[in-house]
Amino acid sequence: MKKLNKLMALAVAAASAISLASCGSSNAENGSDSSTVTVGLLHSMTGSMAISEQAVLDAEKLAIDEINAAGGVNGKTIEYIEEDGASEPSTFATKAEKLINQDKVATVFGCWTSASRKAVKSIFEDYGSLLWYPVQYEGMEQSPNIVYTGAAPNQQIVPAVEYLIDQGYKKFFLMGSDYVFPRTANMIIKAQVEATGLEVVGEEYAAMDQTDFASIISKIEASGCDVILNTLNGTGNVSFFKQMAEKNYTSEDYMTMSFSIAEEEVKTIGADILKGHMVSWNYYQTTDTPENEAFVAAYKAAYGEDRVTSDPAEAAYDAVYLWKAAVEKAGSFETEDVLAAIKEGDVSFTAPEGTVTIDGENQHLVKPVRIGVIGEDGLITAVVETDPVEPDPYLTTYDWAVAANIQPLE
Amino acid sequence: MTLVNTLFNGLSLSSIILLTSLGLAITFGLMRVINMAHGEFLMIGAYMTYVVQELFSKFFPEQIQSAYYFAAIIVSFAVTFALGCIMEKFIVSRLYGREIDSLLATWGISLILQQAARSIFGTQGVNVNAPSFLQGGLNIGSCTFSYNRMFIIGITIFCMLIIWAVMYKMNFGRQMRAVMQNRPMAQCMGINSKKVDMITFALGSGLAGIAGCSVALLGSIDSTVGQSYIVNSFIAVVLGGVGSLTGTVLGSGIIGFASIIFEKYTSSSIAKAVVLLIIIVVLQFRPNGLFTIRSRSLDE
Amino acid sequence: MKGIKKQGNNITFSVIVIILALIPLFYSMGVISSTSTIMFLGKCIAFSIAAIGLDLIWGYTGILSLGHGLYFALGGYAMAMYLKLQATGGKITEFMHTGGLTELPMVWRPFTSLPASLIMMILVPAAVAGIIGYFIFKNRVKGVYFSIISQALTWAAYSVFIALSPYTNGNVGISEIKSVFGSIKGDANLGNLYLLFYIALAIMVVIYALSYILVQTKFGKLLVAIRDGENRTYFSGYCVSRYKNVIYIISAVFAAVAGALFVNFNGSITPSQMTISYSITMVIWVAVGGRGTLVGAVIGAFFINLCEYNLSSGELVNIWQYIIGAIFTVTILFFKGGIVGVVRDNIPSLLSKRKGVSR
Repeated sequence: MKKLNKLMALAVAAASAISLASCGSSNAENGSDSSTVTVGLLHSMTGSMAISEQAVLDAEKLAIDEINAAGGVNGKTIEYIEEDGASEPSTFATKAEKLINQDKVATVFGCWTSASRKAVKSIFEDYGSLLWYPVQYEGMEQSPNIVYTGAAPNQQIVPAVEYLIDQGYKKFFLMGSDYVFPRTANMIIKAQVEATGLEVVGEEYAAMDQTDFASIISKIEASGCDVILNTLNGTGNVSFFKQMAEKNYTSEDYMTMSFSIAEEEVKTIGADILKGHMVSWNYYQTTDTPENEAFVAAYKAAYGEDRVTSDPAEAAYDAVYLWKAAVEKAGSFETEDVLAAIKEGDVSFTAPEGTVTIDGENQHLVKPVRIGVIGEDGLITAVVETDPVEPDPYLTTYDWAVAANIQPLE
Repeated sequence: MTLVNTLFNGLSLSSIILLTSLGLAITFGLMRVINMAHGEFLMIGAYMTYVVQELFSKFFPEQIQSAYYFAAIIVSFAVTFALGCIMEKFIVSRLYGREIDSLLATWGISLILQQAARSIFGTQGVNVNAPSFLQGGLNIGSCTFSYNRMFIIGITIFCMLIIWAVMYKMNFGRQMRAVMQNRPMAQCMGINSKKVDMITFALGSGLAGIAGCSVALLGSIDSTVGQSYIVNSFIAVVLGGVGSLTGTVLGSGIIGFASIIFEKYTSSSIAKAVVLLIIIVVLQFRPNGLFTIRSRSLDE
Repeated sequence: MKGIKKQGNNITFSVIVIILALIPLFYSMGVISSTSTIMFLGKCIAFSIAAIGLDLIWGYTGILSLGHGLYFALGGYAMAMYLKLQATGGKITEFMHTGGLTELPMVWRPFTSLPASLIMMILVPAAVAGIIGYFIFKNRVKGVYFSIISQALTWAAYSVFIALSPYTNGNVGISEIKSVFGSIKGDANLGNLYLLFYIALAIMVVIYALSYILVQTKFGKLLVAIRDGENRTYFSGYCVSRYKNVIYIISAVFAAVAGALFVNFNGSITPSQMTISYSITMVIWVAVGGRGTLVGAVIGAFFINLCEYNLSSGELVNIWQYIIGAIFTVTILFFKGGIVGVVRDNIPSLLSKRKGVSR
C-alpha cells in the first residue's frame, strides 16, 4: 500500500505537470508550416448533444479529406483540430477562444444548438474570426463573422406552413422542446398562421430531458388540432413518436410537420412509426443530383453502409467547400479577405442539394426548399421542391411578419 | 373520460419511476451505496435489448421475432447482474460506510460507461421496435390503453413480487436483511457477508437492467438515457424513506401522479419545478422520508 | 521543518498565487502563447473560489451540497444582467422583445447600476441559502437527505429559469456581454484583461484568507465538531442548526462571487451552470484536491479543469471521458485525502529519508 501510494503520488505529479505544460505550449508551429492550413472543428462529442453533432462532424471531416485528396486549398493541405464542446455553451466559449487565439486556426466549423452559437458569437466578432454554422435555425440573427449554411426560417419553416395552409389544414398545434429555436419558430408560425385567419389551437413546450409525453399527448387530443408543428429536438422526438404510436395514432390521425427530424432521427425512431409524416428541409438523402450520388456514396464508404446522410450533415459538408471556394476567390486565408470575397455575393458550390450561393449581404445561403414525406424504408422523398430561395433571416420581406413586429428591435 | 386517462397516465409514469427506482431502493436503501452509475446500468439494459433484437433478426425465423423481447429481458438482467458483481467486487466493496464517497466514485464510473456506450454503439441513438404484441393500444371508449404501458405496469408488479419473495420468503433474503441490519452479528452466525453484499448489489443492478429494457420501448436509446431517469429515481427513494420498499412505491406514486396532474394545467418545466418544490416541503416535515425505519440509535 | 509542515497549506497556496501573479510576465516572455490561456486561468480562479466555499461546508462541516451550481449561477446571472444592460444601454433586450415584453421587467430594474447589481449578487444567493437553510437545518434534515434536497432545489431552479424565458432567455442564457472593464479580447485589450485577472486573483486571496481565519476561530472548530459528532455538539449546548445555516450562507455567497467573476471571463452565462452534473463536478474538484484543507479545493479546481481543457481536444477527444472518469474514481477509492493528502503523506517521509533522520 505504501508503495502504491508513492507510485500514485508520482503519477499525480506527472499528470499535473503534463496538463500544466501543455496548457502553455501551443500549436503555433502549425501556422508556420507553409504547406498546411489548420481549421477548427468545434462540436459536442460528449453530453446530450453528441447524438446529433457526430453526423455533422463526420461530414466536415469527409469534405476535408476529399479536398485534401484533390490537392487542398490554394495549394495547402487542410489540417484540423477537433475540440469537444461537451454540450455546454460555456465550454464552447472556452474552446472557441482556444481555437482562435491559441491554435490560430484559419476558420472554425462548429456548433449545433443556438445556445452554443450565441455563446461563441461575440467571441468570433471580437477576434474578427470566422465561424461556419451548419444547422437550420430560428433566424433573427446576422453576425458579420458567421456564415450560416443551414436554412433561415424563410427557407424551412415559412414554406412548410404555407404548404400546410395550401393543403387545407386549419387547426395548428405547436409543440417543441423548451429552448430558443422552438420558441422563436413558434412565434413566427403563430404570426403567419394568424395572418391568414387560421387558428393555433395549442402551444406546448417539453423539457429538454422529458421522457414521458402522456400529458402533452392528452393536450393534443383535447385541442382538436388537425396538424402538429413539431420542433422537438433530439431524444424528445423518439419518446414523442413512440408514445403517439402506442396510442394507435398514425399520420392519418394526427399529421405532423417536423423541423428537426432528418434521416438520422428516422433511423432511431423507426420508419414504421414515422411513415407518412412530413418534414421540411433543403436536402434529403434521396435528392436526385449527381453530386448527391457521389456524396452519399462517399459518406457511406467512409462511415459504414448503415449510415445515412441528412440535411445538417450536408450543410456542414457544403460549409467546408464554400470556405474553400471563398478562400480561393480571395487568394488568401485571412478572415477579412475571405469575408470580402463572400461580400461580393458569388461564392457558390454545386452541392448535393443543388447549387448554393452565399448571399453577400446576410451571409446565409441561397438554397432550394424541399417538403418531404417519410417513407416506409426510412428515407424521405420530396413532394415539393422549389427553386433556390433567397435567405431572409429577419423575414423583412413578409408583410405578416413585419405587421406582427417579430423582428428584433434595432 | 379524461379522468380515466389522467389516472392511467399517472399510474404509468409512477410505474416507470418505480421500476427505475427499485434497484436503487436496494443498493441505496439497504446497502447505503449511492450508485450514480445506476442510470448507466439502465442504459446498458436498453442497449442489450437492441443487441438481442439485432441478433434475433439475424439468426431466427420470422415467426418468433417477437419473442426477442423476453430474451432481451433475461439478457439485460444477466448482463447488468454480472456487471454489478464486477463493480461490487472492485469498487463498491471499498466504499461501504462511505456514502458520499460512493456517490463521487460511481460518478466517475458513470462517465466511463457513457463513453463506452459511445465507443461501442456510436454516438447516435439506436432503435428498438416494440414486439408485435406490444404495439399499439387497447381502445375502450375514447381512452386508449397502450399495451406497452400496461406491460410495464405488469413487469413492475412482477419485480416487486420477486423482491418481496426474495427478501421475506427466501433464505437468502433473511441473510441479506441480517447483514444489512447487523453485520458483525450476521457474520458471527456464519453468514458469508461478502457474498451477500455482492449478490445484493448485483440484484439491484440487474433490476436497473430490466428497467432499461422497459424504457427502451418508450423512448430514445443513447448514451445519456440513464441521466434522464436517475435523479427522479433518487428523489423517489429519498421521498419514500431510505431503506423502505413501501416508501419507494409511495414516493414514485407521488412523483408520477403529481407530475401528470400539474402538467395538465401548466407547462412541463413549471410542473417539474412545482413537483420538486412540493417534495422539498414534504421532506421538511418528514426529514427522513415518508416511511422511516425506527431505530433507537442516535447516530445512525 | 515543523513550521513548514504546519504552514504547508498556506505556503502551497502562496506559491500558486505567485505563479498566477507572474502569468502576464510569462505571456510577455512567450512561455504562454496566447491570451486565451490567461482567460481560461481566470475562469479557473473563479472555480477555485467556488471550491473553497464548498470545502468549508463539506470538508469542514460535513454537509454535502450537490446544488452549489445554483448559487454559482445566481451570482453569474446577477453580474450578467448588469453587463447585458450595459451592452443594451438600459433598454430591453432582444429576448424580452421576442418574449413579448415591451418594457424592462421589475426584476431587471436594479441591475442598471453596478453597486446595486453587486449588492443583489450577494443578497439574492444569501437570501435563498438563508431561507432554504433555515428550514432544512432547523428540521434536522441531514446527510444524504440534504444532498438530495439540494439537488432537487437546483433542478427546480433550472426548470424555472428555462420556463421563464422572456426574463431569463431560457437555455441560451445571457450572452454577448463584455466584462466590467470592457472587452478583454485580443492584444489591444490586454490591459483590461490583466486588470480583471488581478482583481480575480485578489478576490481569491481574500476569500482564502477569510476562510483560513474562519476555520481557525472557535466557529471553525465548531464546524469540525459538527462534522465529527453532530449530536455531541448539540448536547454541548450549541445551536448546531444556526452554525450550519451560517456556513451554508457563506459558502453560497462564495459560489455567487465565483459565478460573477466567471461571467466576466466567459462572456455568457447559461442555466447549464446550475445543472446537477455541474454541481457534482464542483464537489469532485474538492474531493480530488483534498477535502478539509482549503488549498486542496484550489488545487482540485485547477487540476480538474486543466485536465478537461487539455484532454478534450485533438486525438484524445474520444477517450478523454475515460481518463477523467478514472481520475475521479481512483482518487476517491484510494486517496481519500486527494492530491493534498497524497503529498502530505509522502513528502515528509521522503524529505526525512534524504536527511537520514529516522522518524
